[in-house]
Amino acid sequence: MKLRYVTVFAMVFLLVGVMLSASADAREQVVRVALKASDIRSIDPDYGTTTIDYACIDPMFNALVRFKPGDIDPEKIQPDLAEGWNVSPDGLVWTFYLRKGVKFHKGYGELTAEDVKFSLEKAANKDTSGFAKDFDALGKVEVIDKYTVRLTFKEKVPSVLGLLTDYHGGFIVSKKAVEEMGLEKFKTNPIGTGPFMVHEYVPKQKLVEVRHDGYFRGRPLLDRVEFWFMPDASSREMAFRKGEIDICEGEREQAWVDKMGKVPGTVIDIFGPGETLTLHFNTSKKPLDDIRVRKALAYAISREELMDFLGKDVTEPLVSPIPTSYLGGTTEVPLYTYDAEKAKTFLKQAGLEKGFTLKEVITEMSDYRRPMEQIQEQLRRIGVKVQMDVIAHSAYHGQIRKDVNPIVLYVCARFPTADPILRQFYHSKSIVLTPTAITNFSHYDKIDNLIEQASRETQTEKQKALWAKAQRSILEDAVAYPLCITKFVFARKDYVDLGYEMKSTLTLVDTIKWNTRILEE
Amino acid sequence: MFQYVIRRSLLIVPTLWAVVTVVFFLIRIVPGGPAVAALGTYASEEQIRALEHQMGLDRPIMVQYVTFLADLCRGNMGKSLITQRPVVKEIAQALPYTIDLTVAGMVLGILMGVPIGIFTALRRNEMPDYFGRVGSLIGISMPEFYLGILLMYVFAVKLDLFPVIGGGDLRDWGSRLYHLVLPAFTLGIIMTAFISRMTRSSMLNVIVEDYVRTARAKGVTERMVIYKHALRNALIPTTTVIGLYAGILMGGSVLTEIVYSRPGLGKMMVFAVKDRDYMTLQMVIVIFSAAVFLLNLLTDLLYSLIDPRIEYR
Repeated sequence: MKLRYVTVFAMVFLLVGVMLSASADAREQVVRVALKASDIRSIDPDYGTTTIDYACIDPMFNALVRFKPGDIDPEKIQPDLAEGWNVSPDGLVWTFYLRKGVKFHKGYGELTAEDVKFSLEKAANKDTSGFAKDFDALGKVEVIDKYTVRLTFKEKVPSVLGLLTDYHGGFIVSKKAVEEMGLEKFKTNPIGTGPFMVHEYVPKQKLVEVRHDGYFRGRPLLDRVEFWFMPDASSREMAFRKGEIDICEGEREQAWVDKMGKVPGTVIDIFGPGETLTLHFNTSKKPLDDIRVRKALAYAISREELMDFLGKDVTEPLVSPIPTSYLGGTTEVPLYTYDAEKAKTFLKQAGLEKGFTLKEVITEMSDYRRPMEQIQEQLRRIGVKVQMDVIAHSAYHGQIRKDVNPIVLYVCARFPTADPILRQFYHSKSIVLTPTAITNFSHYDKIDNLIEQASRETQTEKQKALWAKAQRSILEDAVAYPLCITKFVFARKDYVDLGYEMKSTLTLVDTIKWNTRILEE
Repeated sequence: MFQYVIRRSLLIVPTLWAVVTVVFFLIRIVPGGPAVAALGTYASEEQIRALEHQMGLDRPIMVQYVTFLADLCRGNMGKSLITQRPVVKEIAQALPYTIDLTVAGMVLGILMGVPIGIFTALRRNEMPDYFGRVGSLIGISMPEFYLGILLMYVFAVKLDLFPVIGGGDLRDWGSRLYHLVLPAFTLGIIMTAFISRMTRSSMLNVIVEDYVRTARAKGVTERMVIYKHALRNALIPTTTVIGLYAGILMGGSVLTEIVYSRPGLGKMMVFAVKDRDYMTLQMVIVIFSAAVFLLNLLTDLLYSLIDPRIEYR
């Protein structure tokens, strides 16, 4: 009899314990984010280039200025660590006035102009930054007083504020922390001023960030953010369905959007700027050195068919190298609307009416491979056979820089003005296999003047006109064929309030901000 | 016996040297390099070259090889070319998870596979044998990731009994075990299929032997006949299979690690290949090779325990 009472008591005790712990869980202000990644590369903001890096870096750092949360319109850039600024009449000298009382994580003290100088010089140095080239025009950074810093540029920059925003080299780090830890340790233990700071890093599993109580905009509403590295789509989906994950990177496919949209309590976030998918025709390789052949390929590709294949909700057309959502994007360019007959005529004129074969390498990553398979099929219809070798993603980036492909499919997102894309993909200094190479795969060298003039132009309308002219030239010479933009897709539990309206972000993920929170039931 | 162990142990040095040498040159032949992976797709050619110089990858390959061997002899495992963290630290963090998974998968495989093998052998061409054979065929044919997702869907998502993600907290045994159940069963079920088939076929060979018939004729109980006379002799090939698969399991559990988002050496190795992280890959291969070598030695030594006629000199 006694044993029965003890058993009943123990069961009630356990039940109450479980319920109490469950109710404690319900109040927990923790967001778990699952991203398609095997690990972080670097969370030193001057080296982070992958989506997982961006996702982890953004909540830890601030910059002098920032994009409006959830909106990357360059015209809506706001003050961040700088309260205000003024510019010299020639646009070359910028003076920034810092907020007072901004604290770094983990007792690394107050932000001063010395930290800003150190951070920008670190970003501009190729030995300490992956984005040094973006800062080529930065002449010197001077500390005027504890809260004032002056930047002098050697030449006009298309968007100084864009360079200094919360993206890539614009983030401000703690000078004291870098000097104390050394750069290598800093890469996994960075110190910033953001609402969250590194707490735990488990390689190949997760990075945990905890609240930074001294954050200058106010105490962050979440206690903790966990970034899980989950390369497998099915596992992310299962974990999300079970509720172990609150925000989950999705597949950029219509079927995924439709399926996950039906899961109760799920919000699907589809946002920009998306990544541009562009085919670069290598004019140094036969037969693509003939403009008639390049035009034939352009007319043989059906953008609409590709977008149908990838999904209507997750794509939008791209008719020019620069999307219209970027400053300087235009639609007033030769369009090359799908016309198989015209394509065949061009091939005939080039003496290739029987078609030809192109040998390509392509990455195994589905964001590249699936569209390229679709292009392969479309080109087959006009007799152009594309033989594809599927290789690892890092190998693909190595091989295309060695100029092995006659056609390069490149997927990218850049700062939303025309200059970065035009400069990196169409300036002669960026031609692959040259010492200054970046990603000019088409070997195009006819718009250097337009790019340079536009970057020096002080009037926006004139600048836009120069950029538009450059884009027309690219398409008239048919050195590239813009395919479409694929947007970013995330599934989010409806109890997670991001704290802002998500339209577009350069972090490429549902970004966690200081006012992101778990809604009470 | 002692001399045999010493002799075999000494062989580990040339074996590991051969393995790391092959891996060292093979990974460098494959296109792509760690600099692009580390710097990202924004990097200019100039930055890529600078990082390659910093990593020492622009030196002649033989110089790199000799430096690598010298460092290895001094116990310096170097740093990951991608994360810049010491490889030894990364391995130390992942190794416990790999050991957990391998041991648990192996133990489950043995605990389920050997009894099933014996039972189906004793019920040859009866219903339990048919079920056992079909079951083991399914187990062998089923891809690890598919079984993992299936178990995850039923036991984690639908029944809410186990977690979907992570390997648990290394300092908390309860959490580790809780996170281990589904991944261990994923591997354990597949191992069960292999072990049960091998045990069954060995038992079928042994139970028709003269000494088994003699034991029965002498009036020895059936239990004694099976467990003492038959099973002991049937275990030699089964032990070989277990020894071989334990090594394969260590490195081959990568899909289970990916599906359950667990850290582990298998996952580390695969992503090191993808990112061309030479240092990490080389060291993980060294660990795997050493583990396989030791497991094989252990298997050989077990033979003499199972069958006293086997003697090592």
